[in-house]
Amino acid sequence: MTTSEPTEPIPAPTFSRRRLFTLGAGAALTAALAACGSNTGRGSGSSGGHGAPVLSQWYHQYGEAGTEQAVKRYAAAYTEARVSVQWRPGDYDRQTAAALLTDAGPDVFEVNGPTLDQIQGHQVVDLTHEIAAVRPDFNAAVLAPKTYRGKVYGIPQTIDMQMLYYRKSLLTAAGVRPPRTLHELVDAAHRLTTRNVKGLFLGNDGGAGVLGGTPLFAAGLELVTADGRVGFDDPAAAAALAGLHTLYANKSLLLGAPADWADPSAFTQGLTAMQWTGLWAMPQIKKALGDDFGVLPFPAAGNHGRPAVPVGAYATAVSARSKHVDAAKAYAKWLWVDRTDDQQDFALSYGFHIPARVSLAKKAAKLRTGPAADAVGFATDHGHASPLLWTPKSQTALQDALTRIIQGGADPSAQLKSVVSTVGSELSRVLKKSGKG
Amino acid sequence: MRKNGEATIQDAHVRLGRALRAVIIGALAVLFLVPFYLLVRGGLSSESDLTSPGWTFFPRTLRWSNVRELFDDPSVPMLHALWNSTQIAVLTTLGTLLLASLAGYGLARIPYPYANHVFYAILGTLMIPSAVTFVPSFVLVSTLGWISTLRGLIVPTLFSGFAAFVFRQYFLGFPKELEDAARVDGLGHWRTYWRVVVPNSRPVFAAVGAIVFIGSWNAFLWPLVIGQDQQAWTVQVALATFTTAQVVNLHELFVAAAVSILPLVVVFVVLQRYIVAGVERSGID
Amino acid sequence: MPSRLLGPQNRYLWFWVFTGPFVVGLGVFVYVPLLWSLALSFFDARNTVTPTHFVGLSNYTSVLGDSAFTSSLATFAVFCLFIVPATYALSLALALMVNRLRLARAFFRSVFFLPTACSYVVASVIWKLSLFNGVRFGLANTVLRWFGQDPVAWLSTSHPPWYWLVIVTVRLWLQAGFYMVLILAGLQRIPRALYEAAAVDGARPGWQVFRHITFPQLRATSVAVVLLLVINAFQAFDEFYNLLSTARGYPPYARPPLVYLYYVALGQGQDLGIGSAGAVVLALIIALVTVVQARWFGLGRKEE
Repeated sequence: MTTSEPTEPIPAPTFSRRRLFTLGAGAALTAALAACGSNTGRGSGSSGGHGAPVLSQWYHQYGEAGTEQAVKRYAAAYTEARVSVQWRPGDYDRQTAAALLTDAGPDVFEVNGPTLDQIQGHQVVDLTHEIAAVRPDFNAAVLAPKTYRGKVYGIPQTIDMQMLYYRKSLLTAAGVRPPRTLHELVDAAHRLTTRNVKGLFLGNDGGAGVLGGTPLFAAGLELVTADGRVGFDDPAAAAALAGLHTLYANKSLLLGAPADWADPSAFTQGLTAMQWTGLWAMPQIKKALGDDFGVLPFPAAGNHGRPAVPVGAYATAVSARSKHVDAAKAYAKWLWVDRTDDQQDFALSYGFHIPARVSLAKKAAKLRTGPAADAVGFATDHGHASPLLWTPKSQTALQDALTRIIQGGADPSAQLKSVVSTVGSELSRVLKKSGKG
Repeated sequence: MRKNGEATIQDAHVRLGRALRAVIIGALAVLFLVPFYLLVRGGLSSESDLTSPGWTFFPRTLRWSNVRELFDDPSVPMLHALWNSTQIAVLTTLGTLLLASLAGYGLARIPYPYANHVFYAILGTLMIPSAVTFVPSFVLVSTLGWISTLRGLIVPTLFSGFAAFVFRQYFLGFPKELEDAARVDGLGHWRTYWRVVVPNSRPVFAAVGAIVFIGSWNAFLWPLVIGQDQQAWTVQVALATFTTAQVVNLHELFVAAAVSILPLVVVFVVLQRYIVAGVERSGID
Repeated sequence: MPSRLLGPQNRYLWFWVFTGPFVVGLGVFVYVPLLWSLALSFFDARNTVTPTHFVGLSNYTSVLGDSAFTSSLATFAVFCLFIVPATYALSLALALMVNRLRLARAFFRSVFFLPTACSYVVASVIWKLSLFNGVRFGLANTVLRWFGQDPVAWLSTSHPPWYWLVIVTVRLWLQAGFYMVLILAGLQRIPRALYEAAAVDGARPGWQVFRHITFPQLRATSVAVVLLLVINAFQAFDEFYNLLSTARGYPPYARPPLVYLYYVALGQGQDLGIGSAGAVVLALIIALVTVVQARWFGLGRKEE
């Protein structure tokens, strides 16, 4: 194969009717395409049979069995519109981000956000009015990141939180008590590590992805201060992150497990004595280990430290490009404000999530005893949500630095310095934009 | 004149070399087959066998029920995905062969003053990574209303610069005499192409067809984003549901992976001779 | 119709009948998005494909000033410098060995060619979850254990960078068989007479014959294979993404440009301006490398 000139003699240049034929060929092609139709479903967002709109609603793929059937059941019960539920495997954030640019996207969708740029770019609509009646009933910590200048752009569905699970019997056998400080955690993980069992599982990347800002919260710091400045420009931050590297350097961390941190398999299969994972995994862990486990928040780091757990919520949002914005808003309100039974079922029947509504969380019998009750307590007392001003770019910068510190043993202060500078410029960008309009 | 002893030594050398080569090629063959073995082993094991600390070369019990479990799983319509992938791969292959072979023939055999410009415009697209234009392509397809449709999955992928390039290079070397004979019989470009050129170019069609078919069957990113509705999922997208699920079900994932490559492996084993002959004689280089 | 528009014997008409459909499709589905991307690179295009705020070259300065982008280019150079020679050498070795087989030739050719049927998704599943699984029940770690070694977390260890072993072997396995077939075809075309002449001249079968006859005669095939390998390496995305990405993103190591662009332009922080600028820079680099490479191989001068 070569990229050389064709060997034919080239005729003298003459004017051609290329354009005309191009257009002709284009017409032929269009006709061919029309013939090769075969639409594979999807009611293209137009109206249904009796003037009722057809709404498309997206969920990311939940791992717990039965969730998909449940959300389809909820949608089927809605009478004002026909709702077609789409269950999306793969990289959900990217799929929704791309789809929001087009008319073919969802009308109603759950989102791990919405992000500030999505709000400022007018991609999602204001839902303040929809939740007005029950606004105080939503957990304030998770509602705050969905709120921009007093208006609410996403209705929190359930609260997700993560924490440290530990195997009681293994700790007892090793003579280790549940760690209360980062120092104790490092020590415990080291002493629990044997040839077959690692001390701690923080995800296959060594913790950079799942922990994110949690070690900073545990050091008594914040990601963004109330007045919109970088909240971790402090030596305590570097000290906390250095502790994480020690875990890695001691070979106390489980790495490269077949299932990542969100799945409790590594813990239940006995690959690790402690694992950082979500509340949602508790039913599975209970089934596998019975009472042989306990839970802890991320332990305090340093002198001004405090225990911390990350909390967050998938929220339901309505796409601004929906052809039926009003119908979509009405449906979002119906499901995530009015239908408290469905909300309860969604939060508790499949995995374990804390209902985003305080009144529902209080009613949940399953969350009142044992480790589940501990978890609810952690979320209330030590919960930190990522603020709206914390953009994906800031998150990436912190995560990259964490990976370099944990795995590469990079100097925490130098790494943090560059994160502080990236986050600082992101903050001034988004604040300037919100100042403008 | 050589002495007997020398000949024996040389013979021994030759034999040793041959034996060594046999050992090396045998070892490499085993290495190349290991992943297939792992796939089948994973697919027919129970979850607990897979994750047990000791390595078992063969599952203690072959769990054929895993296959049924996969096809019975209501959350992943595997059969439908296989059907979608088949339709898409077949139509994409036929469409690409038609469009690219015509273009390649035109570029190679029909003199036109700006043919070079057209050729370079096609060649240039080979250097553009598809992810670069991914978002505008997606927006374009959705503007056309082709999301979750077969045409959205097929049409934008039909214009393969690679295929057109291969056909052009091949037709440059196509024997002129055959065409001239057709000309003498009074056939125009169009009929010459269909009656003389195509029937005499089967290897290149087989080779390009095989490459396009494989690429189409194995494509992941585009079907993931365009095939939004579960009804439009391809095999690769269905497979990804197992890897991205929060709870990884290893044996089902392996069974699904094995099922996803089975059609291609069967095609390869049955048609291998033709595909290899096609690639060998297509002049792809 | 004036014949100068249709060309002699309507040739121009026929040219467009043959190439028109392809060229139109290419225009619509490749060039329109391409120009669209180019335009986006000069705008502040966050979360929109129809931006209004023109920013000139500032996207270019910011992407070139982003160490994540420049280091992704370096990562990519390392990958390319490794994967291209390695795949070529392995394919050549396989082809030479298969070519000399007398028994079971079709069988061995099939065995090496078969991985071509696998997708990167499937291969990544096998590599990540079975072969180079980081825990005790992975095959590689089982083998290490037989020799009394500790298990290695292949994909999570940056010192030493074991992840390269995983990434490179997956691509070798998937690609080598295909290029082996191309090289086999090249070997078939070498005239027997050359070998016979060499034997008469007393050249020893083996290295000498390879160096003076086989390898030089394979030149055209080798150039083709290397060009294809480089083009394919430019497109590297699938195995990186499927092996290393997690629900929370992608580690800062082994991040080639396409993965970087994918996260910047298609992630939640959907910055299409920066993403497009990076894409344009990448496309320019690819074009430059291709041209240099073509010169290097002496292409574009004369048809061989």
